[in-house]
Amino acid sequence: MPVKAVVGPNIGMILLGLVLSLVALGILMLVPQRFRRGIVRAATLIGGLYAALEFFLPTQPMPTPDDPKAIGNFLSPSVVPFGNYVNAVFGWTVGLGVINLCQVHGKRLMKGGAGSFNSVVFFLSMIMMTVIGILQKAHPNPLNKNLYDVLFVGGLVSLDATMFSIVAFYIVSAAYRAFRIRSVEATLLLATAIIVMLGQIAIGQLLTRWIPMTSAFHSLHIELIRSWILTIPNSAVTRAIAFGLGIGGLAVALRIWLGLERGSYFDA
Amino acid sequence: MNILRLLQQVDRRVLYVMLLLAVTLPFFVKFRVPVAVSPPTQALYDAIDSLPENSFVLFGPNYSAGTRGENGAQSEALLRHLMIMWHKKKVRFGMLAFDPQGKTLAQTIALGLQEEYNKQGYNIKEGESWVNFGYRVDQQNFVRALVKDVPGTLLVDVHDRSVATLPVMQGVHTAKDVAMILDVNPTAAYTIYIQFMQGPFKIPMGLAPTAVMAPEAFNYLDSGQIVGMLQGLQGAVEYEQLLNTFGRATRASNSLGVAHLLLISFIIMGNIAMLLERSKQRKAGGAE
Repeated sequence: MPVKAVVGPNIGMILLGLVLSLVALGILMLVPQRFRRGIVRAATLIGGLYAALEFFLPTQPMPTPDDPKAIGNFLSPSVVPFGNYVNAVFGWTVGLGVINLCQVHGKRLMKGGAGSFNSVVFFLSMIMMTVIGILQKAHPNPLNKNLYDVLFVGGLVSLDATMFSIVAFYIVSAAYRAFRIRSVEATLLLATAIIVMLGQIAIGQLLTRWIPMTSAFHSLHIELIRSWILTIPNSAVTRAIAFGLGIGGLAVALRIWLGLERGSYFDA
Repeated sequence: MNILRLLQQVDRRVLYVMLLLAVTLPFFVKFRVPVAVSPPTQALYDAIDSLPENSFVLFGPNYSAGTRGENGAQSEALLRHLMIMWHKKKVRFGMLAFDPQGKTLAQTIALGLQEEYNKQGYNIKEGESWVNFGYRVDQQNFVRALVKDVPGTLLVDVHDRSVATLPVMQGVHTAKDVAMILDVNPTAAYTIYIQFMQGPFKIPMGLAPTAVMAPEAFNYLDSGQIVGMLQGLQGAVEYEQLLNTFGRATRASNSLGVAHLLLISFIIMGNIAMLLERSKQRKAGGAE
């Protein structure tokens, strides 16, 4: 089957969306603070209400040409446009983060002194990545693609990996200094950690490999003990934590949804 | 200085150098220590191996370079199996990333494996055997839309080709047409797939978390919401053993083992020295 190339995103629609969004944002900024808060709360409530109702309302057969067995409710056809709308809002929040970063680093750069070099690096990185990123998308020639690869794969990806790998050094240092068996609980924790770590690696598994799997003591294989620790005691504890987190998350979500949350979220 | 005190206060730079050597030196030695395959790894292997003919798998490379050591090796092992399954049963897969680096990292792995297997006559083609949908934002709402209309939500792949017209997407319209979800994820965001795709549509799901995140996922394994799991790099090593291949996980496994042993040695050494010193002090106190 021949593969159809897409002409590209509809620039006109993107620009129209951008202008409309800017106008909406401008109007929102002109609205007095007390009304603005209400608008934000109403938008949050309606957005959350849509997602909840679409999920919880009873469903019925709603066949489509692609899926004759599809089921849903009257809100279901809007799930895809709603998802696109949320993506657009998400894009704006990223923009908000960029503006915030520019403000913080801009002020630091104007002041000069310690840390201003980091701000220069921030601005240079951001501008280069943005320009090359757009260029390689708009004109995907080898030069732009290579430049993008140098920045993204050679720069960002490598820096990310380096930063994360540094953690290993801190873990070794911290484990050596802090992991002291000063109590029964600490001793239990240490013994468990060593069993799990040894059971996790091939060299550790060699320690008990001499025990025949057919013998009565086969359950003393270190990987089997590790497996038991992870599937029985660990599962019980993580399940309890997950329940606690779930209830806590639900409470926070309800507070945000119903506009009960205070602080920067609504009072800005 | 007292030797017991010295053992408890080894300079951190010494620890760093030893760790550096423990991680790098084993890469120069090519040997494989056989490992015991854990039940979650075996279960995932069996689930992929028993996929029906011509089915479609949604593969999620949701990681960045920070966890590439583990998640990259897991991705490679799983993609190897999927490409073997293309050869055996024409199983196709699509990669969808919710991390901006994931799409690039997975694309590199997939292209490398495609080249490797095509030398063996597997005839794997991007767009026909597999597709990279690229990076998308807001996983929760995206997945909610995706389950209802896969090509309509994805629209284009990483090369800006219309997803709906790609041969690899033939017969894939909604979540019901997805035979399996495979999520390589170092965070707890895999629960979004469980909540909005695996659960409602009863799609088998496999997970490849980092070793540090694996303990949390055992609950989902226990409940059957996840059919199998690769636990960190070791899971990938086990998987490569099942595939009878010597990939990046096996190459890195010796480093992992030596680094683990070094860490355990340091902890034991520090504790023995502390206990001996305490006992010495107690005796000295008793003598006074």
